[in-house]
Amino acid sequence: MNDEPMTHETARGLAAAYVLGALEPAEEAAVREHLQTCAERHHEFAELGGVVPYLVELPGLELVEPPASLRDRIMAAAAADLAERTATASPVPAESTPRLAEAPAASAASPVAAPPPAAASPGPTLPFPSAAERSAPRRTSPLAWAARIAAVVAIVILGGWNLVLQGQLSDARAYDRAVAAVIDAAGKPGSQIVVLTPTKDSRGAGIAAVAPDGSVVMAMRDLPATAGSQVYEAWVIAAGSPAPVPVGSFTVGQAGTAAFTTTPVTTPPGSTIALSLEPGPGSTTPRGTIVATGVSALPKS
Amino acid sequence: MNNEFGPRGRVASAADDADRAVLVLVAAGQLDALQELYDKYRVMAYSIALRITADASLAEDVVQDAFLGAWRNASRYVEGKGSVKTWLLSIVHHRAVDAVRRRRPTVELPEREDVPPAAMTLPDIWPEVAGNLDREEIAAALTSLSDVQREALELAYFGGLTQQEIAIQTGTPLGTVKSRVRLGLLAMRRALVGTDGNAAGDAAGGDRSGDPGGGALA
Repeated sequence: MNDEPMTHETARGLAAAYVLGALEPAEEAAVREHLQTCAERHHEFAELGGVVPYLVELPGLELVEPPASLRDRIMAAAAADLAERTATASPVPAESTPRLAEAPAASAASPVAAPPPAAASPGPTLPFPSAAERSAPRRTSPLAWAARIAAVVAIVILGGWNLVLQGQLSDARAYDRAVAAVIDAAGKPGSQIVVLTPTKDSRGAGIAAVAPDGSVVMAMRDLPATAGSQVYEAWVIAAGSPAPVPVGSFTVGQAGTAAFTTTPVTTPPGSTIALSLEPGPGSTTPRGTIVATGVSALPKS
Repeated sequence: MNNEFGPRGRVASAADDADRAVLVLVAAGQLDALQELYDKYRVMAYSIALRITADASLAEDVVQDAFLGAWRNASRYVEGKGSVKTWLLSIVHHRAVDAVRRRRPTVELPEREDVPPAAMTLPDIWPEVAGNLDREEIAAALTSLSDVQREALELAYFGGLTQQEIAIQTGTPLGTVKSRVRLGLLAMRRALVGTDGNAAGDAAGGDRSGDPGGGALA
């Protein structure tokens, strides 16, 4: 690879591959550098790049609905992000966060077309002033999110969010997202909380929230990885009932973490939530080892 | 034809305007607006991520990263550089490609790790060639591609492959792959807007200038 600056003509010739992201990393970097320094205009990049979004219409893209849990994960992560912005910017009470849309006076004075310098923004808000902001309809149900944000803020204060702050290791992030989903569920009125601890000679611990509909949102870690057809099966033993009810199974990779939402069953306070390692899916009674258990309880107010 | 598509270059559709209004609220930190955006585009976003990664769990991570990227960087969306939909789906696309490349052992990993992770920066968003094409028009444009051009574009777009990787996978000389990619995009552009614009210069000079360009970097 030579280190000579790229010529204008060479960059032109690479435009199609560049806008497609099909260049080797070094070539891509060279083109990027050229575009930043080239005195001549490179119309071809915008012209060919404008075509790329339509490639999504190439035949054969099967439309697939994502799992419902993905929305919860994203919203919980965004709520956590908002809480973090608020926490690091200034000690703003949680109640004020849902009202960030009320643009600060400074941003209202900025010209509409100017992209706001994000780094210069003093607060958690990202100024995006426009007429649309003033005329857009208010979002509904801020209260629901306020409850969730408050739950996340509480976790931040308790220091439980340290994993997010400490690093971007994907395992830790996956677990954090799982925890965030639990927090999200736990923030709903009527939810119960379960702390799952490993049984004797087992590994695997976590927390879970029993949503009002009886589904259990759990975040587990330190679980041994499943192998072959093995699955972890979740069980609910409702208070006063002797029979464990299977509520769903999942596999675990080398990271040992799991984010899982069970099928809803009646789960009154005092119910036992258990995880067993089963030789395969579809168990109707636990056949394998019970690895972790916990008892559901309403949070103390 | 002037190919500068400024914000007022075309009549934006009502749907685009609605999306922009939602994005303003996302930029202002409104969680409900983010949820609205997610619900509108979740199927497209997840389908693209799933197609590229062929891994449901990785696809979920990609979609989550993309929407969180949009959540954090909504203020960086610039009107006139494509619709909100394009902006969002481009983020999904870039992150999905990034995810599969990081997973693939053959890629020049040290190089990519030195660079600030591409997935962490928003992609360059190019203005769409036209605002309100319907699906039939786009489908017609895609049929203007030859089979080998379509294959090359598909391997790049949905496979996340570089030209070199496409050459290896299809057993085609690199120069041929480069031509297919370039001529394929030009053909699509011609079909979508009825002109090659300034990029036509590339096609005319392509046979001559393409090889030195490739040779200098090969």
